[in-house]
Amino acid sequence: MSESKDLSRRHFLGLAGQAGVASFAARAIGFNLGLVELIHAEPTKTAVTPFSFAIITDSHLFSIPNHKFDRALEDAVAQVNALTPAPDFVVYTGDIAQNGREDQLVKGQKILANLKMPLKVIPGEHDWYLDMGKTWNGMFGKETWSFDHKGVHLIGLNSILVKDFWTGSGMTPLQRMSTMEMLESPIAGPWGVREAQLEFLRKDVAKLSPSTAVVIFTHSPLWDYYPRWNFQTQDAPEIREILGKFDHVVSLHGHVHQTIYNKFGNFSSAGALSTSWPWPYPPVALDYPGSQMNQSDPANTKDGMGTQHVSLGASGGVVTYDPFANSLTPWLKDGVKV
Amino acid sequence: MKTPKQSIRIYLTVGAVVLGSFGTVAIFARAPFTDAQLAEQKQELLEVVNKGRDLWHGSNPSMSTNGLACGNCHPDAAASNPQTFPKWVPQLNAVAPMREMINWCIVHPQNGTALDVSGPDMVALEAYAAYLYRGEKIEPGYTVPTPPIPVKSGVGYPWKPSGVGVDK
Repeated sequence: MSESKDLSRRHFLGLAGQAGVASFAARAIGFNLGLVELIHAEPTKTAVTPFSFAIITDSHLFSIPNHKFDRALEDAVAQVNALTPAPDFVVYTGDIAQNGREDQLVKGQKILANLKMPLKVIPGEHDWYLDMGKTWNGMFGKETWSFDHKGVHLIGLNSILVKDFWTGSGMTPLQRMSTMEMLESPIAGPWGVREAQLEFLRKDVAKLSPSTAVVIFTHSPLWDYYPRWNFQTQDAPEIREILGKFDHVVSLHGHVHQTIYNKFGNFSSAGALSTSWPWPYPPVALDYPGSQMNQSDPANTKDGMGTQHVSLGASGGVVTYDPFANSLTPWLKDGVKV
Repeated sequence: MKTPKQSIRIYLTVGAVVLGSFGTVAIFARAPFTDAQLAEQKQELLEVVNKGRDLWHGSNPSMSTNGLACGNCHPDAAASNPQTFPKWVPQLNAVAPMREMINWCIVHPQNGTALDVSGPDMVALEAYAAYLYRGEKIEPGYTVPTPPIPVKSGVGYPWKPSGVGVDK
């Protein structure tokens, strides 16, 4: 994928550059705004060639050998490998590890290496706070990325950055990690992507035309779902504003361990099934309550978990949840339009 | 000098007071708790609740062999619904109290050793869930999925960090 990515990106940047020159020239000789817009938009107008990709997320691998979550991630990989048509690539939206330990990340990487297609990864808080992403970065590269694929611009951000709560209180790295591991911890505070990544995002999309299909991946949702459990991203309003110029943006996230959909303005958002365990739905009224899956059966160790794949085409996208056990409502079985 | 009539009145009054106080003793075994006593009792309860919160998040290693704790699936005791017990529990094939369900979770998803159903750890776990769900209507057998209770801030009750969730 990286070759085609580089190629398409170079190609795209070249076109965008030409568009900039054309636009400047048009302005200089006094073309009307409509024509300028047309010239400006024409070269970057990208038709989407239909394709699909899969999402695997939140495996929370422990260091314990032969753990049931290892097998769940193996099942997820097998499930994605068996998809027909095969997805072009897989995005992992965070929390490979449970306690941020190197052996857990290595175990996850090893299992994910069995995927037949390329893999892009963003971090979750469980991957990060033992050594502030040092091991994760060493294994998976930069956590902030973007690439173009078949007419779609895809972006990955690290949304689990919190204000420093550990230095002042003299916490060890292990204490910091343990604090972040507790979903309802009263200590850690809200997550966000923070200014450096907002700046990346501004620059990344500056030259894209509003008609470009954009997909953005984060660990946490880009809306205030349930902030107490960090089912939120603090600077999501800024992200939505930066992406506000696009006709349509699809936001896909992990962390919530459940099916969930929301839509506002040009933004469609969907959460992903984990491979480890389902979280209960938090006590908030949803605009789309149909996107809740059935309550899982704790006696069925596969219920409420799974993978998902996303089909993108000229007329938008569809998220299809692929649960390990049948825990979907009819609304979900038809796939969720995003 | 008291007249006989006055004396009888005094005896009667004293007698009534004595009888009255016996009566009081019979109805009220002790004086009502003072505010200080109530505060002390509340504190005792909160200490057990706090212990329950720690256990909920993995402070007793015997409860799990795979690293999972109650809090993994039940943050803020969500979806534990103590107000719905006793009820039919499909996993146990019986009407059971919450503590039996807690033990089921310890033995199955957590692959740990069941707690003494009336031991202090079990009491603490029940106390934690019940305290977060205080004020909820008691509806035994209610099986429709109920939303978790909103916990606005902190841990939902006066709390001193115990170390669990901060260090392991």
